[in-house]
Amino acid sequence: MKTKIAFAVLAAGVLCAGHPAFAHHPFAAEYDVNKPVTLTGTLDRMEWVNPHGWIYMDVKEPDGTVKRWTVETSGPGQMNRRGLRKSDTVDGMSLVIKGYQHRRDPALANGRTLVLPDGRSFYIGAVGGPNDGADR
Amino acid sequence: MLSIVPALEWLEGLTWTTAIRESAWGYPIIETAHVASIVAFAGLVIMMDLRLVGLAFTHVPLMQSQRRLFPWQMTALVPSTATGVLLCVVDPLRYYGNVFFWVKLALLALAGVNALVFHLITYPADGRWDESPQVTASAWRAGAVSLLLWSAIIVSGRLIAFSWFD
Repeated sequence: MKTKIAFAVLAAGVLCAGHPAFAHHPFAAEYDVNKPVTLTGTLDRMEWVNPHGWIYMDVKEPDGTVKRWTVETSGPGQMNRRGLRKSDTVDGMSLVIKGYQHRRDPALANGRTLVLPDGRSFYIGAVGGPNDGADR
Repeated sequence: MLSIVPALEWLEGLTWTTAIRESAWGYPIIETAHVASIVAFAGLVIMMDLRLVGLAFTHVPLMQSQRRLFPWQMTALVPSTATGVLLCVVDPLRYYGNVFFWVKLALLALAGVNALVFHLITYPADGRWDESPQVTASAWRAGAVSLLLWSAIIVSGRLIAFSWFD
């Protein structure tokens, strides 16, 4: 019996170790780690909601057209702990967001780092995701 | 055609639903309570199902399994339903547009019908096999269907978190 329990704990540990991104939903199920993006634009609006927040921003493309991006963030609790407050973002402000593009949707990204106009930078990714140092 | 979307938008715009949706702690606590109470409820239902299909507790008389499990099943059903309804109410448009949510609701309805038929018809009529490890075919079916449905309900509930078909 003891051996069985030890084995089960070990198996669970091995499984979890293989899935560091297993948070609310796994990063890799939706986003592509090989498609990092840096978005510079203006904030249309932010939805400060559970289980994940959403940032809608307008980004000027190289050809001059404006593309509306949707960026998934972590939840209000996690962003609070990182020091970001709902009142820190104001519609129309300029933003820089680093993240990773969605596997299929070319206008959707998973946000990792948010830089406000005053220069303050926040980690807005969920627990897990690619080990790119954005969360440090 | 009359749409329920305006009603859902009204619900989403209320002060208290917005407050829970945007909360640092409220929403995670409700969500955690939902998962914990589902574990309790589905776990107790699965214990009965395993007895019915003859995979576990076959040495326990069926009536005794039923008498012991049923009150706890109903007790766990209250918080799991209440927290589930609350999660929907604070973010109605998200669930309205999520295919896995509707799959889960349909499966829940089927599981409800299966349980009602078992408790109102099959169980009272077939009480004579109480001491036998083997139950009747209709009772075995009720357990097997319940096992399949609850597995599918839990999987579809988990999949609501993914926006694959939004």
